[in-house]
Amino acid sequence: MRDFTPSTNSLRPQLRNICLSAKSLACSLVILPLTVSVEAAPTDENKKAEPVTEEKLLAAAHQIDVQVGKIFKKKGISVPETASDSVFLRRSFLLAVGRIPTVEEARVFIESGDPNKRVLIVRYLMKSKGYQSHMGNWMVDMLRVRDNFGNNRTAAPYTQWVRKAVAENRPYDQITRELLSAKGAIWENGAVGYYIRDKGMPLDNMSNTMRLFLGTRMECAQCHDHPFDDWERMDFYKLAAFTNGQNEINRGVYNTAYRAIREAKEERTPVGRMIRYFGDEIYYGSVAGGGTGRIKLPGDYQYNDGDPGEWVNAHTPYEKSFGKGVRLSKRRDSDDGLERFANWVTDAKNARFATIITNRMWKRIIGTGLFEPVDEYVAPEETTSPELTRHVAELMQELNYDLRAFQHVLMLTRVYAFDSSIKELSPGEKPIFDGRKISRMSAEQYWDSLVTLIAGNPDKLPTRGVSNAIYYGNKPVLVGEMDMATLQKEVLAIDSPKALKKYAQDLLTRIQKGTRSGGKKNKDMMMRGRGGRGALKGIARASELSSPAPKGHVLQIFGQSDRLLLDSATKEANATQVLSMMNGQVEKLVVANSEAHIHRLSQGSVQDRIRSLFLGTLSRAPSAQEMKLMEAEIAARGDAGYRNIISALVNTREFIFIP
Amino acid sequence: MSILNKQDELTRRQFVSNAAKTYLGVGLAPLLGATLAGRSFAQSAGSKSSAEAVIFLNMSGGMSHIDTFDIKPSKKEVQGPVEAINTNADGIQISQYLPKTAAVMDKICIIRSMTSQNGAHDRGQYALHRSYSPRGTIVHPTLGAWTMKLKGRKNKEIPGFVTVGGGSANASAGFFGVKYAGVPLGRADEGLKDSTRASSVNEEDFGRRLKLADALNKGFHAQHKNTEAAAYDELYNEAVRLMRSDDLKAFDISKESGSSKKAYGENSFGQGCLLARRLVEHGVRYVEVNLGGWDTHYDNFTAVEARCNVLDQAYASLLIELEAKGLLDTTMVVLCSEFGRSPNIVAEHNNGRDHHPAAFCSVLAGGGIKGGTVYGSTDSKGDRVKKDKVTIQDLNATIAHGLGMDVSAVLHSPSGRPFQVAHKGKPVTRLFS
Repeated sequence: MRDFTPSTNSLRPQLRNICLSAKSLACSLVILPLTVSVEAAPTDENKKAEPVTEEKLLAAAHQIDVQVGKIFKKKGISVPETASDSVFLRRSFLLAVGRIPTVEEARVFIESGDPNKRVLIVRYLMKSKGYQSHMGNWMVDMLRVRDNFGNNRTAAPYTQWVRKAVAENRPYDQITRELLSAKGAIWENGAVGYYIRDKGMPLDNMSNTMRLFLGTRMECAQCHDHPFDDWERMDFYKLAAFTNGQNEINRGVYNTAYRAIREAKEERTPVGRMIRYFGDEIYYGSVAGGGTGRIKLPGDYQYNDGDPGEWVNAHTPYEKSFGKGVRLSKRRDSDDGLERFANWVTDAKNARFATIITNRMWKRIIGTGLFEPVDEYVAPEETTSPELTRHVAELMQELNYDLRAFQHVLMLTRVYAFDSSIKELSPGEKPIFDGRKISRMSAEQYWDSLVTLIAGNPDKLPTRGVSNAIYYGNKPVLVGEMDMATLQKEVLAIDSPKALKKYAQDLLTRIQKGTRSGGKKNKDMMMRGRGGRGALKGIARASELSSPAPKGHVLQIFGQSDRLLLDSATKEANATQVLSMMNGQVEKLVVANSEAHIHRLSQGSVQDRIRSLFLGTLSRAPSAQEMKLMEAEIAARGDAGYRNIISALVNTREFIFIP
Repeated sequence: MSILNKQDELTRRQFVSNAAKTYLGVGLAPLLGATLAGRSFAQSAGSKSSAEAVIFLNMSGGMSHIDTFDIKPSKKEVQGPVEAINTNADGIQISQYLPKTAAVMDKICIIRSMTSQNGAHDRGQYALHRSYSPRGTIVHPTLGAWTMKLKGRKNKEIPGFVTVGGGSANASAGFFGVKYAGVPLGRADEGLKDSTRASSVNEEDFGRRLKLADALNKGFHAQHKNTEAAAYDELYNEAVRLMRSDDLKAFDISKESGSSKKAYGENSFGQGCLLARRLVEHGVRYVEVNLGGWDTHYDNFTAVEARCNVLDQAYASLLIELEAKGLLDTTMVVLCSEFGRSPNIVAEHNNGRDHHPAAFCSVLAGGGIKGGTVYGSTDSKGDRVKKDKVTIQDLNATIAHGLGMDVSAVLHSPSGRPFQVAHKGKPVTRLFS
């Protein structure tokens, strides 16, 4: 039986609907042939990346297995069992694309006799849109990207920048560099959102940066010498000096113009409103200044090594693992503090940078970090196997920080494919990577899985729109004439308050003319949803909804991060989740919705239908005993029995826990 | 459905018994007696602790103490444009942004000498709720979870710990396990969402579904023996019991009069406070309501004024209604933030204020707290505590003490580490009448 036809590079939806029986279904899961190379991520600068072939990925996976094998040998434990196809499939879908497989996907995989099918399915998943969505969620969470910067100031260009960077699989060191050195106007360079997001709190931004990218906790040193670590308050200020001096482009022009408006009590006049709009949507979204590289110590500086108000220069903290240090002058302002800092963070010699992202990805796929928590750096010597830790960090660098390729390698290891382990680590005990512990789905995995039950493969659903239209008064204006990028560029170039007011008046006139004449185009734009700049509502992947999801949404109930603070997503159980699964959206959108994908795919004999429900929810066929129980249910309740079965399946622990 | 109920009861007892052994290293008796508590402690401390319930108003983001409850009108460079107003308590002035609160100051005690070591939001909020610093190796229970652990529920039919708005981390039971966790509600007006059986399923089928799921779960649990997965079993039992309870209406503010709803302010915090009052009336012991947006690095005065409008209306109405219903004596209303804000006004950030953990305020009322009082003080700039320092841990100890908990009781985590309700905090017993 030939299960995977090496012909095209995507699933063919029209085929999928035809191929419903088990045997012919094989034809619908069309996966790239083995011999085609997996293209490496594009890299910046002059680094010439060689294409990473699948052979190389497999070889890299084997080397990791060898390293972990050494741990087992040293500890004298036997190699764990390999997980069943069902477990492998479910795990791979949830980890790579953030959802459960559909009935068709599960059936094709499980019934296929191709000895190479695990390699093929991993490749299929890593290449799919689902990967971009799921990985994008990870980065949006890490960077705490919200749809607006507060007071409804749109953060759309930043969101789009982050999602695009992930979709293009840009190397992680490049993404980091672009974020940390970002300046300019947000509609031109979305990456400035990294600093705008934390406007007014550059110190918090710096401690987040150190924690996120270098696994170094310095937030205590913002106010006092760190009680446990080596960091002193001086170290922190010397870091903060790199990014100091950021401002909005030509903010003074706006301030003067708006002050005049206020004094004339014109805040509520059309011109007053327009200028205020410039303040919120144009000036706010801009960063001037490349980092002065020096900073004044705060008024409450309390240690002997400096006085309040004294200038200190930018200087990276001394610690071997940070690699080569960087310092700037304290006598005069520089203009490249951001760039120098960004280069230091992502330098090949900065062991913390490589190790932290390696460990984040390792935990994501293997289940247990090389060390935990993942945002507190631990030297390789202190980990279970220093050799393994160094090896994988080197692999990350060899792959040029291609996070997709790195995760791809991990998913090809035997370590990844072990059956779930039930062993709990006792405090202080180091992990040995003998199988994932089951863990509850994240809010996004749970929601995207519901979407799969309702609509089938969510890659086919509409996605969040990308719009650079000017929204004024919640309506798109000057559509086809001018976009936000142009408006922002023009406004930021204005160098006098008088000219700004004049510009605002002219713009209002243009808008008025536009609404009178160009009705149709505007209406089409408005259909996209008010002010949401393309965020969808309803049945769509979490990545296509607003960030964070509205209060009371399933995503919130299941612990989506509010994206205010680092790491605030939670998987903790609570009663509202259970109510939601029994009586809420599950009932309304899946169980009682005869149009739901899971219902429509349940066809044939009673046994066929039951099997299909199991495949579609738990990614496995029922055991003989379970089949008997479900048959009895159908005998007793008829059609209502199928609904009862679906509800029961979704309400099992097996459904919400990743094996 | 009596069979189901019986099963619930059985599992619940088993769970309690196991929990007692695991977490406390003690037998069943003290827990089922509902309290390990400290009447005797309370009496020996020589002060009355009369609270049966707590409403905790979490001002997340870092509420400016200077622009609210610790006003510095004589120092213009510190105070900026905010003016002081008199209150109905002699000699106590607060910010002009809080006029309704000023009119009920006789019920309120302001602590002006709060201090903390945590200048970062996440660590600050963690400490405020759990009294400990975050550690990679353990998750500490929140004060609400401690209350469930040490005091138990007052009304056994409904959850004893509820949070409204804010992240669900504030409802965390940490190493106590989900039995002691709060129920996090996203929106007050939706109450306990999905708590009634959907109209698309009848009672019989609903019961069949539970049984089918139970049957399916057996094999899973046998294979994985996972505590987090097992925790959901308990929650299902709890949820089913709750669905059948008459007291479910406690969560439904649509049953409140229109004038009540208006009085609290028609916004999520206002409605949250209304829900809190309703829950306390129905015997819920610990309710937290979140009001965010206090992180006023940028344009402090505009933002603080807007936050205060929301706070003022809801807070004053809450105290007035609790008193009218005779609940204020037994309900302690606590308002606090993870830290305060700096006396220094940052002109470049459109007159913003940065974080300031060294000195800030908390505000207490009801539950035996002496009203019309101020405890502690800061220096002339609101920069440092001058008198009667109160740490976050001391505040939590004060709340625990007010509820009649023994703050010296030591409980052990599953891994055997010792913990106390307010870490090493000491209750400020002088606040009680």
